[in-house]
Amino acid sequence: MKKPKKNWLEWMVFGFSSLLIVSVIGFLVYESATIGDAPPDIRLRIGPPEARSGYFAVPIEAMNEGDQTAEGVHIEVVLKTAAGEEERADLEVQFLPRRGAREAWVTFKSDPLKGSLEARVLGYEKP
Amino acid sequence: MNAPPLSNSLREYARGIAGGLMFSLPLLYTMEVWWTGFVAEPLRLLLYMAAVFVLLLGYNHYVGLHRDASWSEVVIDSVEEMGLGLLVAAGMLFLLGQIELDHLAFEIVGKVTIEAMTVAIGISIGTSQLGGSAEKSKGGAEASAKTEVTFEGQLAIASCGAVLFAANVAPTEEILLIATESHLLKLVGIALLSLALTALILYYIEFTGSRRLVRAGSVVVVIVGTAISYAIALTVSAGILWFFGRFDVALLTCVSQTVVLGLAATLGASAGRLLLQ
Repeated sequence: MKKPKKNWLEWMVFGFSSLLIVSVIGFLVYESATIGDAPPDIRLRIGPPEARSGYFAVPIEAMNEGDQTAEGVHIEVVLKTAAGEEERADLEVQFLPRRGAREAWVTFKSDPLKGSLEARVLGYEKP
Repeated sequence: MNAPPLSNSLREYARGIAGGLMFSLPLLYTMEVWWTGFVAEPLRLLLYMAAVFVLLLGYNHYVGLHRDASWSEVVIDSVEEMGLGLLVAAGMLFLLGQIELDHLAFEIVGKVTIEAMTVAIGISIGTSQLGGSAEKSKGGAEASAKTEVTFEGQLAIASCGAVLFAANVAPTEEILLIATESHLLKLVGIALLSLALTALILYYIEFTGSRRLVRAGSVVVVIVGTAISYAIALTVSAGILWFFGRFDVALLTCVSQTVVLGLAATLGASAGRLLLQ
């Protein structure tokens, strides 16, 4: 077999490419070996409310702890004010990758600090 | 032959990258492809990589820039193209705002891998086809005019063309939509149109290269050649659809989707094949 004639640049590109491919393959093999088949398991975390101009914004972090991706994740956040009234807000996360997280915001007219917040997932579908 | 000068190899890489972007831009700009990047199982991505690598080997062996190349060179070229493909895809996705550093490793790797495969095929084609006249003596159009490409070579190149054309539309929702909403007779029409186009492109309308690469001897030759091309197209479109997770449905829908995508694939397998060598 004749030895390929290459200059240092070509050898460098080849070396770098091999490294890149091997690491991608290694990563994918590791992932497929460790990843299970658990359905989406979505956990919500409510962040500290912030006052904006005329409304209050509440950051919501949705984390998917399952091994499957959830699509169209519909989240509802209910604010129970001190006066006993309920204010609802909802949002939809288009895709929540497995073991991934997405951040979103919901807004309220009344101050969430003067009441209690509750978030829940209404539904999602299999992509 | 000594090692080529640095400027030559630089130009070759740049040409490849230009080709890679040219052929894969539609996919880089498609949402469904990004999503498949993190919806697909890692094993599926590995299989896709393996399939594309085989295609690259085939293309580089039969058409590639260094036609007289030994297998070790063909492997090296293919590795380089795939590596550059990964790099270009990562860079483009970053510029397009589709990968952020705070994303999960799997999401990033998935998106980059899936996009990189078409970029790699584009790079391979760009390097060998977009060359200037100076390179011709080394293996451009003139060299391929001299040497006949074998039957296996034709199969490999037709598959490359089919993948390149079909991959651009395969991930879109429209394929499923057309497949489920069309009347069955219309699907038969699509299949007949695919066959007719294949036969015309290969044997009648004198496409660039058709004289040299296919010989229209008898009716039998035309029928066999057309059938083989369309068979490749259907196989490739089924493979791509499976990869994009479109086969988790009833058998009839699978077949319908394959036929709908088969039209794009067969254009690649016939016209693409003639243009790519």
